[in-house]
Amino acid sequence: MTPSPATPTAGVPYFDISDPAFSVRSEEVRRAREEGWYARTNYGLAVLRYDEVGRLLKHPKLAQGSARWPAHHGITGGPFAAWWANWVLNKEGDDHHRLRRLLNPAFSRRMIAPLVPRFQALAGELVDGFREPDRCEFVAEFAEPYAARVIAIMLGLPEEHWREIARDSATIGLAMGVTIRADLPRIEAALDRLYGYVDEAVRDRRREPRDDFVTRLAQAQSEDDRLSPEELRDSLVLLVFGGFDTTRNQLGLGMRTFLDHPGQWRLLAERPDLGGAAVEEVMRVAPTTTWVTREAREDFTFEGLDIAAGTTVHLFTESAGTDPRAVPDGSFDITAERPPHFGFGGGAHHCLGHFVARGDMSVALPLLARRMRDPRPGGQARWLPFSGNTGPVELPVSFTPDQGVSA
Amino acid sequence: MRVVVDLATCQDHGQCAIAAPEAFRINDAGALEYDGSPGEEHREHVEEAADVCPVQAITIED
Repeated sequence: MTPSPATPTAGVPYFDISDPAFSVRSEEVRRAREEGWYARTNYGLAVLRYDEVGRLLKHPKLAQGSARWPAHHGITGGPFAAWWANWVLNKEGDDHHRLRRLLNPAFSRRMIAPLVPRFQALAGELVDGFREPDRCEFVAEFAEPYAARVIAIMLGLPEEHWREIARDSATIGLAMGVTIRADLPRIEAALDRLYGYVDEAVRDRRREPRDDFVTRLAQAQSEDDRLSPEELRDSLVLLVFGGFDTTRNQLGLGMRTFLDHPGQWRLLAERPDLGGAAVEEVMRVAPTTTWVTREAREDFTFEGLDIAAGTTVHLFTESAGTDPRAVPDGSFDITAERPPHFGFGGGAHHCLGHFVARGDMSVALPLLARRMRDPRPGGQARWLPFSGNTGPVELPVSFTPDQGVSA
Repeated sequence: MRVVVDLATCQDHGQCAIAAPEAFRINDAGALEYDGSPGEEHREHVEEAADVCPVQAITIED
């Protein structure tokens, strides 16, 4: 993120978004959204309303905003910088499209659908394994192992390695913070271990191809083009890292949202077919990715505002999703028709793994609703800041166990 | 080959234009334009476009 010369402009709200106390769901953001479509921040602009977020997300003058993040912190060489530069997310134009063309088919709905029953069985196993019959620490006992084991299932890694996958992904997550430089040795050690896992999986599939995700990526081909060995391992590690944190956080946010809406939770238990709609509604009001970052490629004017080349633009997904101009009724309702949310970003950089995330969460939530009746807070929760990528770190929940009596 | 995009569902993400630039394109205004009857030689790409569309708005009718 480039600190842009944000000259205070009279009448335009200002947020310090790097303050841990700043919250995208605060009253000040709600108020600013009523005053206008954008605010200024210490790192460029914040866009607050549904219509403008939707249009800027796919605006041709904006590029994805994270490519130069390591360089801004003095990290220009070494394994981490090389990995980052190879992310499909951090490429633009033809280089991006080529990589995306090779990666996309393995993530299509048709390819992911056969794994969904396995995800559902995993959700059941985890609830069976809760230490107590009527309470759990939802993050440690469900969201974290579920997210990590879904990735192990995708990659065909031994599921008992889930703790290492979780720990190393979390360590790499430190790279998103402002202490990236100090944390670099730990980050690179975690990266090295994840490379070890994916290299082994690739070696195995090259020796003995299977009908699975890693084999499909290893064999991915577009005309005469293929992923290079580096692109393949970099993309697989990106999948581990990009899929783990987000899914864990989004499940925690889902659970927390439903604690406030017990009627909706009961409905979901009775109507598992609403699982997909429940995921969309949760991501509309409580997305883990609270903003999507873009950067202006060149000077341009949008809705009368001059935006200079290099300006960082934060598209506030939650503020857009709860914008009364787009969703006037203000309720949380898994049966309502809603406009699409922006929790998976959009445009050329739309989340690559969204069919996986949608598939795994849409079976997990109804199963939890059936097994954890009448859930309520079971103690003090701990949270990441409500900015950047958010979610609960600890979420104790008490509930009435399902008696196994089907209605 | 006949291709139909449900424009009420389409969100102009442009993944189809990445998969099958012969049939789909995002114009300078950021909106989808497409060829409803692309040549048979593009079938593989167009099927891939339908497959990867995030909102599954593309139907190949024959």
